[in-house]
Amino acid sequence: MSLTFLPQDMNWVCEPCGVPLEQGKVELDYLGNTFHVELPVCPKCGAVFVYEELALGRIFEVEQLLEDK
Amino acid sequence: MDQKELREWEAKCIQEEPPACRAGCPLGVDARAFVQAMARDDVDAARGVLEKSMPLAAITARLCEAPCEAFCVRKELGGAIGIGCLERLCIEQGQTRGKTMRLPARPRSVAVFGSGPSSLAVAFELARKGYPVTVRHLGDAPGAWLRELPESVLPSAILDEELSRLSALRVTFVPVPILDEALIKAHPADAVYVGQDDALAPTLLASLGTPDPETFALERAGWFTGGMEEREHRFIGAVSHGREAAVSMDRFLQNASLTSSRVMLRNGRTALFTQTRGVTPVSRLVPADGVMFTRAEGVREAARCLDCQCLECVRHCVYLKEYGGYPKSYARRVFNNSAIVQGARQANTFINSCSLCGQCETLCPNDFSMAEMCLDARRQMVDEGRMPPSAHHFALEEMRSAQSGQAALAAHAPGAESSAILFFPGCQLAGIRPAQTLRLYDRLLEHEPLTGIWLDCCAAPAHWSGRAEEFAQLVRKLESVWADMGRPKVTTACSTCLKMFREHLPQLNAVSVWSVLAAQSVAASAAHPPLALSDPCPSRHDEGTRKDVRALLENMGQPLADLPMSGELTECCGFGGLMDNANPALARKVAAARVAQSDADFLTYCAMCRDQLAKTGKPVLHILDLLFPDLAHPATEPPAGISVRRVNRRMLKAALLERHGRGHLPRQPWEDVRLAISEPVAALLEERRILEDDLRQIIHRATQQGGCFTHGADGRKIASAELGEVTFWAEYREGDEGFVVLRAWSHRMRIKGGRS
Repeated sequence: MSLTFLPQDMNWVCEPCGVPLEQGKVELDYLGNTFHVELPVCPKCGAVFVYEELALGRIFEVEQLLEDK
Repeated sequence: MDQKELREWEAKCIQEEPPACRAGCPLGVDARAFVQAMARDDVDAARGVLEKSMPLAAITARLCEAPCEAFCVRKELGGAIGIGCLERLCIEQGQTRGKTMRLPARPRSVAVFGSGPSSLAVAFELARKGYPVTVRHLGDAPGAWLRELPESVLPSAILDEELSRLSALRVTFVPVPILDEALIKAHPADAVYVGQDDALAPTLLASLGTPDPETFALERAGWFTGGMEEREHRFIGAVSHGREAAVSMDRFLQNASLTSSRVMLRNGRTALFTQTRGVTPVSRLVPADGVMFTRAEGVREAARCLDCQCLECVRHCVYLKEYGGYPKSYARRVFNNSAIVQGARQANTFINSCSLCGQCETLCPNDFSMAEMCLDARRQMVDEGRMPPSAHHFALEEMRSAQSGQAALAAHAPGAESSAILFFPGCQLAGIRPAQTLRLYDRLLEHEPLTGIWLDCCAAPAHWSGRAEEFAQLVRKLESVWADMGRPKVTTACSTCLKMFREHLPQLNAVSVWSVLAAQSVAASAAHPPLALSDPCPSRHDEGTRKDVRALLENMGQPLADLPMSGELTECCGFGGLMDNANPALARKVAAARVAQSDADFLTYCAMCRDQLAKTGKPVLHILDLLFPDLAHPATEPPAGISVRRVNRRMLKAALLERHGRGHLPRQPWEDVRLAISEPVAALLEERRILEDDLRQIIHRATQQGGCFTHGADGRKIASAELGEVTFWAEYREGDEGFVVLRAWSHRMRIKGGRS
């Protein structure tokens, strides 16, 4: 199972770093569960981009699953 | 909920009690299911129901005297359903399910003396269980008096066919010249049945003695009898004796108690309640030929069946209907949900969706309260740390915001040092109708100049969400504010606040503002056509306030349209118990079902009810629209959004501070961020419960501290901020009209860090 999530449009630049976002390693956490995934990240400052489709799709599903566990 | 509590809850719900017809059947035939199948013209299924509980159904269904009919709930409404006639039609026309299954052979033998209906029933029941049964009968063929019946009642071919079914179950028939004690002694068996519905030798009859009325056991161990002369129905009474005796014999042969955990005959006793109010009487159908229904007649007669169910609560509650069960099954669901050790809990949303409105308890003949059960379950979930954090998050945030310095205020009347009365509008009225709230306060001041104002939240969301500890703390805080104000009498414009205060802070002596106004002369005169008055659900047991509201409306000359579920049977708008938070889709259904109950425009005296019901598009007025016509909102006005409510509460506090000469409400730096939001985006924010204030904070941070993503081609920006438990994202562009919001979303999962 791929744990890489990238939006169709990756043409985003981090401000004020001024560098385009790249696929990078991200640690997510919910209710004591940690997930290692690959998301768009600023290579300079490490800012992470959680795009709309991911937040409302996969992330929401996982949140709900963990809440009912 | 533990096992004991589960049993107590289950015992309260009577939906699984048998219908009266089944309880009145000495064989326990599910007559309701049978008649329902007949009403569907499914005679094969109907025959299946009979064969499930009737020994030798082809005989029994033809001869059954239908004692069940005496218990039929239809009896007083056109006559009992003709169940006996339907049985005969069914057995004539329905196909049998075929062979009766026999359990593996058992080593202990059974001897049956006599071959009347009771003996045949014993043979059938015990042969099915695998016992070798020998029936000793008089005459050439078994059947006793059944053989004497006319062909039109019981064709001999049918009798023979059913007897051959017994033979197939390994029942042996042996003709004997006399049924006497010597015969029994000559053929010892492990269990003996003597059928008195056959011509026994008088000496045998005299020596038997009286059997136990429930087990049909005789004093002599292993001997059983039935079919006594004094039985109520010649045929079905005998079959019932045989069935009960067979149950005892099976237990005896297995060395088990004859009575322990035994399901005794109910003789029509059942706790099932069936509502007959509003049922139109329809006369019992008589077969046109005077003998037997045609198929069409059978369907018509069966269609008169009330399909007795309780479901009093389920019928009226969208929530209870939604989950496809009834309180007894829901109690098991709640119990199972808390008992799960591993895997997903399936009933969290179910438990959190109840509006806690209490209608079910009022309707239930046994006072089953889903509210109490769900609230207990929520408290347990909170205690055990397994309440889904997202379930009530927004409502709790709204509560905290209404209690914060941005919105809360307790002040005596301008220039006054004390308060005789403290007006508590309730946070939803303050958020939804701030101008009317101020006018209402003015009206109260006219009547009592020493009326103070108290803007706050009554903490209902903490209570409803099961956070007992937080709720207790908030109640103490409210009490201390009230004490600091000199312990004045409290009057509130919110039915929920009133209920919460009366239950948890009775020392406040809270009354409804509508009661206060009803006691005064009213200047306003209402000019609306009759309106359907929807009582807020917290007023269910507050008859006084409900009467005062009606008196107030009468004083104004406002006529009311009929709304069946009113007063103590009133329904929730979908907000109560935080249903709207935990299950917004269901809340919309609840509101839609409520407004569908009257063609008239609605009127209510709860601000939240007004907005929830108005979400459906139905014209809904708040009572303040009638009291203050110059400040009236149109009945068709859409509800105030979540963002507007926040801003309104701040504005109301600011306006009051100014009036009281107590300065200004300090503004947060992000409040000046100017947003431009289109209607579709506003709807999206509403649905996703994202506040404009959240967006202002995100954009303020992004502009002040830097940190956002800019699109390489068109310059759109995306920024985010973790505000409490939730991370919010905004996509926007800067324009002359301010920050044009394009999209917004959120998630609860926390970003711990990223690297390339």
